[in-house]
Amino acid sequence: MIVGAIAMNTFREAVRDKILYVLLAFGVLMILVSRAIGWVSYGGSEKIMTDVGLTAIWIFSGMVSIFIGTGLIYKEIDKRTIYTILAKPAQRWQFLAGKYLGLLITTLVNLVFLSTAFLLYLWICGAPVTIALLQALFLTFIEMMVVTAIAIFFSSASTPILSAIFTTIIFFTGQMTKWVVELGASVKQTAPWVEKILYACYLFLPNLHNFNIRQQAVLATQENVMIASSEMFNCVMYGLAYTMAVLLAAHLIFRRRNF
Amino acid sequence: MVYHPGLFARRKTAVHDLTLDVPQGAIYGFLGHNGAGKTSTIKILVGLQFATAGQAWIMNSDVRESQTRRNLGFMPENPYFYEYLTAEETLDFFGRLSGMDRPARRKRTDELLAQFSLESARKVPMRDFSKGMRQRLGLAQAIIHKPPLVILDEPMSGLDPLGRHDVRNIILSLRDAGQTVFFSSHILSDVEEICDRVCVLNQGHKVAEGPISSLLTGKVLEVKLSASGIPVAGLPEAAKLAIRAWHDGVQYHVLVDSEEKASQVKAQLEAAGGTLRAMQPHRESLEEYFVRVTQNNAATGPDALHGAGDGFLARPKAEGQS
Repeated sequence: MIVGAIAMNTFREAVRDKILYVLLAFGVLMILVSRAIGWVSYGGSEKIMTDVGLTAIWIFSGMVSIFIGTGLIYKEIDKRTIYTILAKPAQRWQFLAGKYLGLLITTLVNLVFLSTAFLLYLWICGAPVTIALLQALFLTFIEMMVVTAIAIFFSSASTPILSAIFTTIIFFTGQMTKWVVELGASVKQTAPWVEKILYACYLFLPNLHNFNIRQQAVLATQENVMIASSEMFNCVMYGLAYTMAVLLAAHLIFRRRNF
Repeated sequence: MVYHPGLFARRKTAVHDLTLDVPQGAIYGFLGHNGAGKTSTIKILVGLQFATAGQAWIMNSDVRESQTRRNLGFMPENPYFYEYLTAEETLDFFGRLSGMDRPARRKRTDELLAQFSLESARKVPMRDFSKGMRQRLGLAQAIIHKPPLVILDEPMSGLDPLGRHDVRNIILSLRDAGQTVFFSSHILSDVEEICDRVCVLNQGHKVAEGPISSLLTGKVLEVKLSASGIPVAGLPEAAKLAIRAWHDGVQYHVLVDSEEKASQVKAQLEAAGGTLRAMQPHRESLEEYFVRVTQNNAATGPDALHGAGDGFLARPKAEGQS
């Protein structure tokens, strides 16, 4: 009940914040101009349209998670609204879980709204709407689950600006972790310690590229096939495990903090 | 409770070895100058800060347990709320956090909005609330679940006289309803007026505790006599006994430092043909007591305890910080 109350309040806060609507408007705009990009690009216009639409949804969902999530806990401390909440019979993990779930609901609503607009637009334009696209959108949500947890983690320990910088860096470097390993392998002979550091980074950073099946989904759409369910399952399990680990770390910081 | 101001700054003990005896159903004033440790103590009791050593209890329940907070309501100094919520939504939110079901929350919200004269602000977002309205809503959220103990940090801070009057009346009504009110304040005239018992904290140590009537000596410190029919030049013999004597053009006033001198001056005024209009003894106020006891303590160290007994509110064990 306490987690639900805090989650719904966090969602209400986001819904009453103008930044959400600005991001949504830009997301929809990006989806709408995807057809025009398709016309001026090399390759099939439907393929480009699908590709740009999926990427727009990914980018703007990430921005919602980062921009709203990174200030979430800090704002509560800075504005002292946390005083009256923690003085109620709420445990600190419930507060963190509530804030996380509230932001996740916001991200989900944002994603569902943009996805509906995207799929509707594809359908209106006569482009194929397939299960593979839904799978790509679903994994985008799982990715946002991880990014939201990271945003909450930094927000519970740092200022919004630093949190936004750190989360954005992880959001983008998380897409390139495969290259980190490859880079490490290439310097293994000359600088083995660099390879070790890079490998540690690979283990520590979230492998967000795991959730990026957008290219596969575009190709699968053209061939009208699905992404393998085992691959989907592994991604979901990885996302859940990483999210739990990050939230646990946030809790360990937050549980003994003095206000 | 040790406060860590920074990496290289010296650590400061905020509160040390504190036992408070708060009788059920009483209004308890928690006094101290800025930095005395009042807010640190309150924050430990409500779970916002952790003592570096020792433990604290409220009604035999460890304050670190979240269930302990079911028995208390808390309003911080200058309470802050979500600006986008209305008064009704704010109370509903805090009702949910307190574990109340929907019908109970609705009923209690209606009751509190009416009790705290916020009925007309039911649908008004918090950003449009005045300081006094925020303070009233802060009190309302603290008691939404009818806790037996209400802890208020500076509830009258920054309020105009009307706002202070409202908060005083609310505190008195809580006591009438059988709730215990524990509050910190700098406004000692209000504390003296409504508190049954007070504690004075100085540099993290308790320097006095007890019922106000037992702390204040009741001894007459000064007596002011006012008489008409006395020449503007005054009475030299009365002035010799006085701390101060002056004529305001209508009446002659004499301020003396004992009841014996007051009797002598009274006789002198009447002998000179004057008519005594007023004779006002001045006893030690809580403010004067507070200044005296904190200054004494600064000179002699933490002693002069009054009336300490078994604690209802906070009973530290071991090294005992609360």
